[in-house]
Amino acid sequence: MNISIEKKIFSEAVYKVARFAERKSSTLPALSSILILAGDDGIKMRATNLETGIDLKLEGICMSEGVVAIPATLLQQIAGSLVGEGKITLEHSGDVISLTSGTSKSAIKTVPYDDFPSIPFPENPKKNILLPGVLLRTLFSSIAACASPSTIRPELASLYFAVEGGLLTVVATDSFRLAEKKVPLSNKGIQGTFLIPAKNALEIAQALPDGDVTISFDEHQCAFVSSQGMIVSRLTSAAYPDYRQIIPKDSIVEAVVLRKDFETALKRTTIFADSFQKVSLSFDPKRKHLVLFAKNSDIGESSESLSAQILGSDLNLSFNHRFLSTVFSLTTSESISLTAAGIGRPIIIKGVGDNSLLYLISPMNQ
Amino acid sequence: MLVLQIFRNKRIIESTMDKGNPRELWEYMLTQVELSISSANFNTWFRSSFVVKIGEDGVVYIGVPSQFFKDWYLKKFHTLLLKIIRDVSYEFRNIEYMIVKDERRKPMKETVSAGRGALELPLHEFYINKSDNLNPRYTFDTFVVGSFNDLAYSAAQVAIQRPGITYNPLFIYGDTGRGKTHLVQAIGNQYKKQYPGRKVYYLTSEKFVVDYTDAVQAGTANRFKDKYRQYDLLIMDDVQFLSKKDKTQEELFHLFNALHDTNKQIIFSSDRAPVAIPDIAERLKGRFSSGMAVDISEPDPESRMVIVRKKAALHGVILSDDVVEYVATTLTGSIRELEGMVNSIVCHAQVKGLAPDIAEVRQSLRSFTRPQKSISVKNVVGRVAEFYGINEESIYEKTRRREVVRPRQVIMYLLREDFRISYPSIGTKLGGRDHTTVIHSCEKIKREIVVDTSLAKEIQNIRSLLV
Repeated sequence: MNISIEKKIFSEAVYKVARFAERKSSTLPALSSILILAGDDGIKMRATNLETGIDLKLEGICMSEGVVAIPATLLQQIAGSLVGEGKITLEHSGDVISLTSGTSKSAIKTVPYDDFPSIPFPENPKKNILLPGVLLRTLFSSIAACASPSTIRPELASLYFAVEGGLLTVVATDSFRLAEKKVPLSNKGIQGTFLIPAKNALEIAQALPDGDVTISFDEHQCAFVSSQGMIVSRLTSAAYPDYRQIIPKDSIVEAVVLRKDFETALKRTTIFADSFQKVSLSFDPKRKHLVLFAKNSDIGESSESLSAQILGSDLNLSFNHRFLSTVFSLTTSESISLTAAGIGRPIIIKGVGDNSLLYLISPMNQ
Repeated sequence: MLVLQIFRNKRIIESTMDKGNPRELWEYMLTQVELSISSANFNTWFRSSFVVKIGEDGVVYIGVPSQFFKDWYLKKFHTLLLKIIRDVSYEFRNIEYMIVKDERRKPMKETVSAGRGALELPLHEFYINKSDNLNPRYTFDTFVVGSFNDLAYSAAQVAIQRPGITYNPLFIYGDTGRGKTHLVQAIGNQYKKQYPGRKVYYLTSEKFVVDYTDAVQAGTANRFKDKYRQYDLLIMDDVQFLSKKDKTQEELFHLFNALHDTNKQIIFSSDRAPVAIPDIAERLKGRFSSGMAVDISEPDPESRMVIVRKKAALHGVILSDDVVEYVATTLTGSIRELEGMVNSIVCHAQVKGLAPDIAEVRQSLRSFTRPQKSISVKNVVGRVAEFYGINEESIYEKTRRREVVRPRQVIMYLLREDFRISYPSIGTKLGGRDHTTVIHSCEKIKREIVVDTSLAKEIQNIRSLLV
């Protein structure tokens, strides 16, 4: 094999692909490697940890064909040290590959690539949806934070995708809060649901390109295909709880506040939160105030009143402040609406004018 | 030498393997695969797979975790695996790979890995940690979750994740032997693991009462109060025993308030719902049910089977499916009794050195199973006659032939000893005999059993037929 690639393209590709390689060293050496293929359909890099896998196309000049596997961590370190413009040349002979860039030259021992698994594509990819990569990336990185970090219940550690009637609904919950985001789709008539592990979704988000991405899925596997390549992930095979049941249908008070005000007030109040990270919200419709209050027996206490549009009755609820601040990464709206259904019942937070988002938090015991 | 060893292993496995048992087939396949590929390859690809089932048409279905595995098996290992199963039997025609749900794979994996444990009764089961009173044997790993207790299980998980906040107090109730103590102790053990700095304490309400009365007697009631208030998680088992102990209830009430106000998690267990505990202060009842009260209902047959399998696997014994089913369905009692049955089987297995089959299990579980009271005399007569190979009718006749007399006496003995039927009615039912005849027969058999071991064995065998 003999290929030549722009340094910048090479570094970016290694950065993207390396995160899909296996990080544990105990398994097959091929799994913690990046496979570089040079052939008829150009230059490709592949990596997989048997949960997720990536197959990325690279722009470059291919002088002679071949396949080689190189330890991912090593390649990452090399890619991180590349500076300036110019090209990097990879030449393979025997079980050694030599990297030449500018004046430097290094020879790396390769890993046998026979053990490198093939990257599976969904068996019956009839179910395809098309989305811009940018959108998908923000969707993944914002919603995935709301999924459960524990794997005791695999369905809660996953993102729920439901495609119906030209609308994609993505849901994540850790049973204390729930985020639901809806995105319109260009191609209608496809139906289906799948659960993608949140951990995988976060990694995929880092590697998705800006352009259009086709998501194909079947029962066990989903693939994100773009012009630059393909990323696949295992799906969680479990039933997602019927989350719509917990969304309160009625409300007793609704408040609309400016996002900017709420964000700064929350930031300040959070300093005084106790070890349970408790911040209480009081709705005061008479004075049109939303009051944030936190008390820590070791530090002290703080309260902050925000002027807000409030309709309904008096109410006081406590929340984990981390759950409250998550909403700022979920919506870009200038104003935020908070709808409460009563003591002990969850609160719904939405961006004003942003119908795509529904964010729900369960209150703490008083 | 090594080759010889492997060869011998193979022979042993082949000679004892049950071809129709998916688990044994898979274990055999693993031993063969392990020889042919590198250990890194083996660990990566074969750790989390298993044989799901063996089809009627000779197709072996192998369950794998994901598409990656499926593709790779087809590409790399298919011929190897096919060759191995063909060596076992020509009945196997093909291998199919299926991606299997995560939950189904896990319990399988555990039983397989635990299946080869040491065949020794572990003493650490009885070890109890002095500082927190918890028995480390009770963990969530050994806790079987089924539809009968999954609510309680989820509540327990939440209580661990957010102690003192979400469900405080957590009140778990259910009949004896449903796993309440296991669950509450598992919470304690898990909590200890998750929050190393915090203090856990487990006690029964009886211990609490004794502690309190001792403290009052010694005049150290204040120290008693301080002792219990320092804990971050307090678990009190069997609170129903507090009924009528008014002073202790009052103390618990104050302790509860102190802990609850400082957001310390409290867990109670009882054999009935908080409102149904008799003679307990109203204010305490209200507090018991103020957090979350969940009940553990009766385990369904599937869960019982899982429990039996898991308990046996913990002792390193793999039971065949029909044995598991027999054990799980024979007794409708508590999980504790179920555990007792499993222990007895395990003991038998250890003495004999191999897993018992269904007949042996029936035999050894006789003491656990209460004979059905509804069994008819005719049924007993039929079974015994069949056992001795004589005509059923002859039992009822007046004949005194030796081959009939003995079975007749055995029947009388069994009806008296096992089914508690009165002497006169046994007499009437067996062809209108006098009750003194029956008494004589029973006494005779009773005497002979002591000296005649072959008779004792016969009766034992008949009993196992009657169960």
